[in-house]
Amino acid sequence: MKAIRFQKVGKIYRKSHLGRLTETVGLEGLDLDVEKGEVFGLLGLNGSGKTTAIKLIMGLHLPTTGDVEVLGRRMPDVEVLRRIGYAPEAAYLNKTLTGRETLSLYAALSGMPSASRRERVAEMLTRVGLERAADKRLAEYSKGMLQRASLAQTLIHDPELLILDEPVTGLDPLAIKEVRALILWLKGKGKTVLFSSHDISEVERVCDRIGILSGGKLAKVMSQDEWRGKPDALENAFASSVTRTDGVGEIKLD
Amino acid sequence: MTTIKAIFDYTFREHVRHKVWLSAALFGLVLLAGGLVASALAQDERARMMLDLGLAANELIALVSVVFLTVHLILQEIESRAVFLILSHPVKRWHYLLGRFFGTLAAVGLAMAAMGVFHWGLLKLFGWGSGGSYLLAWACSFGKTAVMGSLALLLSLALTSEAAAMAFSVFFWILGHFSAEMRFVAEKSGNSLLRTGILAFSHVAPDFAHFNYRDAWHAGLPSAGWMGAGALYALGYCAACLALATQVFEQKEF
Repeated sequence: MKAIRFQKVGKIYRKSHLGRLTETVGLEGLDLDVEKGEVFGLLGLNGSGKTTAIKLIMGLHLPTTGDVEVLGRRMPDVEVLRRIGYAPEAAYLNKTLTGRETLSLYAALSGMPSASRRERVAEMLTRVGLERAADKRLAEYSKGMLQRASLAQTLIHDPELLILDEPVTGLDPLAIKEVRALILWLKGKGKTVLFSSHDISEVERVCDRIGILSGGKLAKVMSQDEWRGKPDALENAFASSVTRTDGVGEIKLD
Repeated sequence: MTTIKAIFDYTFREHVRHKVWLSAALFGLVLLAGGLVASALAQDERARMMLDLGLAANELIALVSVVFLTVHLILQEIESRAVFLILSHPVKRWHYLLGRFFGTLAAVGLAMAAMGVFHWGLLKLFGWGSGGSYLLAWACSFGKTAVMGSLALLLSLALTSEAAAMAFSVFFWILGHFSAEMRFVAEKSGNSLLRTGILAFSHVAPDFAHFNYRDAWHAGLPSAGWMGAGALYALGYCAACLALATQVFEQKEF
């Protein structure tokens, strides 16, 4: 059973400035399936199309060509979002609200009945270790606390599919360990997790399968048995699959 | 309804906590007090002068606040990417727009009510007893505020520039006071193309004559038909602007 299915998906960004139209390829002919219950990692350099793929899954972008299906529904579909939890690369939360108000807002937006909302919010605040900061405004939170609040909003409605966009980028080692444990815990509960990352060692530890994106194309798909017990196998596969498309050259060493 | 209410609640809270809104409310109070001082200069018409100055100040503060807040309302959430998280939940885009708009209108309405109560108290203190209805004058200002808020929201989404949206809002606000004059010029125009253009423009721009109760204050209460037409005009204009804003917003990718 597929949780996510990309069928020949292409995404072209068009920008018009003073009558001049420029086109940038976000994704090109992407065919990819993510099975239910698996942890799938999307690896790639900056500008490789990871975030574009995630935004297509969330219905925040529309494909230029092809179809994206999520949990059996063609995207964009507002109703299927009830079954998805999404954590963007940074905690894009409204800083004027408190932690409790924030979680309460996202619980309501997810369609959680008001009778169970208060209890669930308190439970999630405790689960992510924010119970003592629950009534502080997010403007007073540290980066780590904001990341936890963002994770809590992702999980508050107990979604069956989790989309995590670079969940460990910029975190300290302790927080990275906690996120890793969380992903494995979610896997243990039968959830499907798709996450994007630059961090090969992190992906190696938690993923069942990975997909390497380069220049908007799927360069390679690998499963765990191709890298488990083989040091540097994933890193080598990554290095041989990707090419820089962002116009940045290599650092020259004398 | 749950999602509209949840977005309404957080928008209202956000504005009430927002320093810009608070300073606008305080500024309004200062202006009302200024009116009190100025009225001391005209002993004979003290209450009348206080009434005119206070109502004008209340309306001006409300209009400046509503234009400023609605122009930033969505664009700022797009820039801070908070909109990613909201729309990655099962929230229809028109629900989001309605919640944001009415949350803002309620916050500005609350500020207007606070200024109105303060002003009305001052008037009573100085022995004002009127033939007109203060509540109706307040309602007319509120109708004007709602119309300008919906127009500023539409302009902000269509122009995607806060500065341009604000400039055009001010332009339409000025034009809105000259609808009858525009129609008069159109009738006098010999050129049918020009006449059609001016007439069309006079209907697109808000017509504030529907809310001009202050000028007719001393003639007593206006007819129920006039009041009903004003209320219908405000509802219709807001609905048209919000429908167009939804159309523009539906096309956006984040």
